[in-house]
Amino acid sequence: MKAFFAMLWASVVMLSRNRVLLITSLGLAVVSILIFGWLFGSNGASTLSLGVVDQDHSAISQQIVANLKHNKSLVVHEGSTDAETQALRNGQRGAVIVMPAGFGAAFMQGDAAMQVYYDQSSPVEQAIAQAAVQSIIASLNQQSSAHTAHVTLHEQAVNTHNLRQVDWLTPGMLGMLLMWANLPVGVTLVSWRKEGIMKRLAATPLRPSALIGSQILARLLLSLGQGVILLAVAIFVFKVQIIGSWMALLATTTLGALAMLAIGFVIGSFARTAEVADAISMLISFPMMFLGGSYFPTSSAPAFLAPLINVLPLSYLNDALRQIINNGASLASVQTDLLVLAGWLVAALLLSVRAFRWA
Amino acid sequence: MAQTSTLSNPLITQADVSFAEAMVNVKGLVKRYGRFVAVNDVSLSIRRGEIFGVLGPNGAGKTTTLEIIEGIRKADAGEVIVDGLDVRTHRRAIQQRIGVQLQATTLFPDLTACETINLFGALYPHATNTAELLAEVGLTEKASARPQDLSGGQRQRLALALALVNNPTLVFLDEPTSGLDPQSRRMLWDTVLRLRERGKTVVLTTHFMDEAQTLCDRIAIMDHGMIIAQDTPAGLIATLGASAAITCEFTENGAPSHAITATELRALPGVTDARDGLEHKVIYTAHVEQTLVALLQYAAARSVTMNHLQVNAPTLEDVFLKLTGRGLRD
Ligand SMILES: Nc1ncnc2c1ncn2[C@@H]1O[C@H](COP(=O)(O)OP(=O)(O)OP(=O)(O)O)[C@@H](O)[C@H]1O
Ligand SMILES: [Mg+2]
Repeated sequence: MKAFFAMLWASVVMLSRNRVLLITSLGLAVVSILIFGWLFGSNGASTLSLGVVDQDHSAISQQIVANLKHNKSLVVHEGSTDAETQALRNGQRGAVIVMPAGFGAAFMQGDAAMQVYYDQSSPVEQAIAQAAVQSIIASLNQQSSAHTAHVTLHEQAVNTHNLRQVDWLTPGMLGMLLMWANLPVGVTLVSWRKEGIMKRLAATPLRPSALIGSQILARLLLSLGQGVILLAVAIFVFKVQIIGSWMALLATTTLGALAMLAIGFVIGSFARTAEVADAISMLISFPMMFLGGSYFPTSSAPAFLAPLINVLPLSYLNDALRQIINNGASLASVQTDLLVLAGWLVAALLLSVRAFRWA
Repeated sequence: MAQTSTLSNPLITQADVSFAEAMVNVKGLVKRYGRFVAVNDVSLSIRRGEIFGVLGPNGAGKTTTLEIIEGIRKADAGEVIVDGLDVRTHRRAIQQRIGVQLQATTLFPDLTACETINLFGALYPHATNTAELLAEVGLTEKASARPQDLSGGQRQRLALALALVNNPTLVFLDEPTSGLDPQSRRMLWDTVLRLRERGKTVVLTTHFMDEAQTLCDRIAIMDHGMIIAQDTPAGLIATLGASAAITCEFTENGAPSHAITATELRALPGVTDARDGLEHKVIYTAHVEQTLVALLQYAAARSVTMNHLQVNAPTLEDVFLKLTGRGLRD
């Protein structure tokens, strides 16, 4: 145990002093988020597209619509419930309010309710929509103080495709970071083997399992640390929301890191020199970074690439991370992704155990 | 402990006693790489508390033999007992009490000297003090330097420190002084001698004859995977049967003379052996004065001049040349 923790500590120290590794993993991801976030991230957040559905057609409801149209920060669209909620789903509305039939009459009774749908994946627009609707309701409530009128809001968040670039990019960058941070473990192993460090360790009572275990845990800890920094940048600089649970995120991140590590071990078992291992890692990482959907969606990729995209572990890792971060998915609802990642992990482990050499 | 009890047992024969005393016992060791036999039926006995040297030209099989004893490589045949334990079945127990400096110095990149020593110390149940160890190998000022910022000799000294980190009873040093400056070499010799004072057994390989001669209690000479001699330095030199080695150059009209051959020189009185050097001849003799007089007469009779005449005590180098027919670093 003492030996294991000493190896673990030494490995963490060595990894954190490895500038190339830090730059390719955390550096690349953070810089990408900053660039894309600043270029595209806050587009469309200043004015709100508001869908209004007036099913009541009373004087009161028409007055509310008129008031909304006066608000400079709102672009009001009128339409049917179906049309407007569809527009919300397509990202053309930030929010939709529905005044049901009988709203005016209920308002005179002092007990009216309206339904509001928000775009939940776009926290900035959601905040603007909420503020706008609430200020209108507040002023309505004030105007009708004589009647002690009262309007209740029924709020409902709606899943939309209206993600900001930076929201979409964040999980992709996390997945990419996990790949760059863990795949090169094979390069480390080969260079240790080549330079005789493995041989020197073989002359000590250190158990092989402790050596391998410490390598895995060190990379895992480093990945988690880097992931936290990356998410902190996304959250504090761009207000990216982590909608799913942190536990689901942690579990998926860990599984993703382990799968990438196992693939790294396979490379380390087959490559004869560190240069070859490095080249193979690069050859895998670069295409995967783009085809795995870290920077842009792969849904529009040409059909002949689909079989390749559909086997890449990063595709599944990114998808699971997006579902959790952007859409609040639970582990159960991303189980397909997790199963594929687990499959990669097991297959790669079996392969590397079979092919492993100490010297 | 076990040693004293066996010694006091009257039933144990002389041969058994030497076996019990041995720190390392190697019997019939064979190692093949493909069809090439790197170690060919090597048997060794290294006693407790001695400095044991393994000498031999490049590719003789020294490193391979040592690494099999250290449990790093597996032998194809033969038996290795270290401190009473079989290396095949008690590898880890043996490795807890041995210290190893490999021929090629390999250190973790990005770890400082101090961190490296701490790490290796943690791999053993008990570790010696890091600061003391750094002082022992003269690297105190380099405690926070990384391997890439150390010189070759300093890296080698750090590797030596790692070999001592677990306070081992048996230390293997594979060419510990190659690449060291004279001062560092002296320092290493002192370290090795101190280890022996503290009752430790040291096994080292070297290409330096003077080193082997001054440092080692006993020496094994290896060539082509075999041990061709095993004795004390004095014992090995005694096999030459000569009390001196006479070196000289014969010239005729200012040019090297080819008229004089080693065979003729062997016929001179007192001479035990003679051989050709690059420009010179080496004549081993049991009676220096007698041979020198005869040599001068012989040269005068052949009207050749003798230059650069030297008379030295025979060295291990001479033994080596006689046994292998070539120099250690030819
Ligand atoms: N892994 C290997 N594969 C094939 N051949 C090997 C291997 N290791 C050593 N050899 C061969 O075995 C022979 C003995 O090598 P070894 O390293 O033991 O020599 P050595 O006596 O230590 O030489 P040196 O003085 O150069 O260090 C050499 O001919 C070498 O080429
Ligand atoms: Mg060697």
